[in-house]
Amino acid sequence: MAETHQELLQRLEAASKTRQQAFMDEIAGKLNRPRVLSKPVQPFRGAPEFWLDFNWTLEEKIEQFINNYKAAGGHAFHLSGLDEVRSFIVSKANEMSAAYIVRQDQEELASLALEEALPEASIRVWNSEEDVNWKAKAAEADFGIVRADYAAAYTGSVTVLSDKTKGRSVSLLPTVLFVLIPESRLKTRLGEILPDFDTMGRENLPAGIHFISGPSRSADIENDLTIGVHGPGVVYALIYKES
Amino acid sequence: MSAARGQASSVKERADLALNDEFLRKAVKFTTERLRSGKIQAAEQHGNWDDWRERGRQIRLHTIAHLDYYLNEFTNNARANGVHVHFAQTGAEAVQISLQIAQSKSAKSVVKSKSMVSEELHLNHALEGVGIEAIETDLGEYIIQLAGETPSHIIIPAIHKNRYQIADLLSKEAGEELAPDTTILAGFVRKKLREKFLEADIGMTGCNFAIAETGSMVLFENEGNARMVTTVPKTQITLMGMERIIPSWTDLEVMATLLPRSATGQKLTVYMSGITGPKRSADADGPEEMHIIIVDNGRSNQLGNPEFQELLNCIRCGACLNACPVYRHIGGHAYGGTYSGPIGAVLTPSLQSNVGEWDDIANASSLCGACYEACPVKIPLHDMLVFLRRRKVEAGYDNKMETIGMKGFAAVAGKSKRLITAIKLGQLGTKLVARDGGIRLKIGPLKGWNTYRVLPSLPSKSFRDQWDKLQQEVKQDTPAMDPAMKARMEAFQQKRQGGNGHG
Repeated sequence: MAETHQELLQRLEAASKTRQQAFMDEIAGKLNRPRVLSKPVQPFRGAPEFWLDFNWTLEEKIEQFINNYKAAGGHAFHLSGLDEVRSFIVSKANEMSAAYIVRQDQEELASLALEEALPEASIRVWNSEEDVNWKAKAAEADFGIVRADYAAAYTGSVTVLSDKTKGRSVSLLPTVLFVLIPESRLKTRLGEILPDFDTMGRENLPAGIHFISGPSRSADIENDLTIGVHGPGVVYALIYKES
Repeated sequence: MSAARGQASSVKERADLALNDEFLRKAVKFTTERLRSGKIQAAEQHGNWDDWRERGRQIRLHTIAHLDYYLNEFTNNARANGVHVHFAQTGAEAVQISLQIAQSKSAKSVVKSKSMVSEELHLNHALEGVGIEAIETDLGEYIIQLAGETPSHIIIPAIHKNRYQIADLLSKEAGEELAPDTTILAGFVRKKLREKFLEADIGMTGCNFAIAETGSMVLFENEGNARMVTTVPKTQITLMGMERIIPSWTDLEVMATLLPRSATGQKLTVYMSGITGPKRSADADGPEEMHIIIVDNGRSNQLGNPEFQELLNCIRCGACLNACPVYRHIGGHAYGGTYSGPIGAVLTPSLQSNVGEWDDIANASSLCGACYEACPVKIPLHDMLVFLRRRKVEAGYDNKMETIGMKGFAAVAGKSKRLITAIKLGQLGTKLVARDGGIRLKIGPLKGWNTYRVLPSLPSKSFRDQWDKLQQEVKQDTPAMDPAMKARMEAFQQKRQGGNGHG
């Protein structure tokens, strides 16, 4: 009888655990010392010390984020609040005749009430129903709308974390991406974001953590910059004041 | 051109082919110049670049020095995240594991994002051998896969193709004529590969960094294809070099600062993704099953070797290629291995541990040290190239003719009478073969030099012949020195001799 997939996985797992031991022993042997079994003291961890005090004011962060995001080929705006965010997205949807929209299942996005403002468009909320192929829904969407978990001004990056209500596909498969950034989530450096994942610890990390710094791009054909190779080619970052 | 390039056996033959290819030379020069100046600007703009390099080096040194601890930690944490972790001593073993998983899944197609490890393993051939379609999805990799070639640059793999050649390749795939326009060509690839992503059974990736403390893997990319490969297919297989480890997410900030700036001059690549295990049960996307294959394939041979251990610090940015005057002249294919440029010249023979076969690529360097200056983790590649050359000589792979030649020269030049006789013989010989003051003969020992240059003929009177006359001329022409100055200089000379100086 042929081996089932489950049996294969078990067999490979058993082999791997044996190999793991031998692999580590061999590394220690080549390093000419016994195995290191307890956590070594790390003499240098993370960025150089002088970098840790580097912080911009909110105004500087907004200005720098917008500059960096634009330099990477994205569009970035500072808006007065969620009302302005709504009218911005609605006007873009009308301008580009967006027929299919998919958004994350997040409170701020629900409060935009886009369904009322865009009655013609099909607006889907990620993973809000069972037995729907959500990847396919994201793939056919003209617009994907997400709220960022973090943003870093120094590199012009937004950070999105996956979970049941937040699909990885929503920031990846649609043609146009809108990322909402509440002012309080905008940081200066990556170093204000990354250590959070160490603090959260393995058990609490989401499956996908994605930093996005502009539209998908490539320079693989004759060094000629092409936008929108696999991911969204048009990206809007909307920083807004929270009420 | 490419078929011939694959067959040439020595770095010199492959370089000859590259040097004959005008477009390749210009493209490599232009691209490397663009990337190199981008990197220099990005480093300057960021500031304190050497402090960051030193920090990057320290983190890599520490991790590699404790690799057994960190790799073990990574493995246990990744397993706890639900990842199936495998170990492969050799490339063949890694291929074997990948094939078993793919076949057990009855996979019809595998979409791949860029992975230098999988290039080392020649995995695509193996997959196709068992009837599984393997599709490279990075734009440049897709192009060279269609052409049946290998990458010529670690960051821009299709650096050697122009858009007309690319349009031809893609038109064949499209079944219709595509204009040689970048937007049209990239648009076709987007559409074509979208279908491939959505129908593929397995997504396969490399791994830029693996975070020991949380068992996460990190990918840097610009196109979004690595995100596709890790989001859409139901099974993900990641090939990871055993040295890709860093301790924490906090350390990732240093790598995220160094890698994109050194590779392309970007502040950060468009996408930086940290993936921690397969999809959670409530998630509606992401792989259901995730495998990480940890590959040695010669890497551990560098451990404990004081001359080469730092090779494992490499973060695969390609900055040394762009800085290298030799790479910029001959391009990547001339190196003949998976990795090209200065890093390839050292890594290829080190990973393969057969200095004999790859000995000549260590000679494809001028030892100028530009690679070290460019390296974001300060790997002393130029020193390693010297160590490799020494290793080669010690292993008996030195050039016998060169050794005999050097011994002969020592014997002749060591005695003045012998040298005079030799010069006279040379002058006599020159008369027979010189034309227009130069020797163009391409025979015997002259062949190597005269293929590219013209050897000047020996002058009819050598410096030695003229020495007596020159000395007399100097004595006659020099006016007598001012007595005061002469006295000063003599006093100075006496003092210096007495003082046992370096004079």
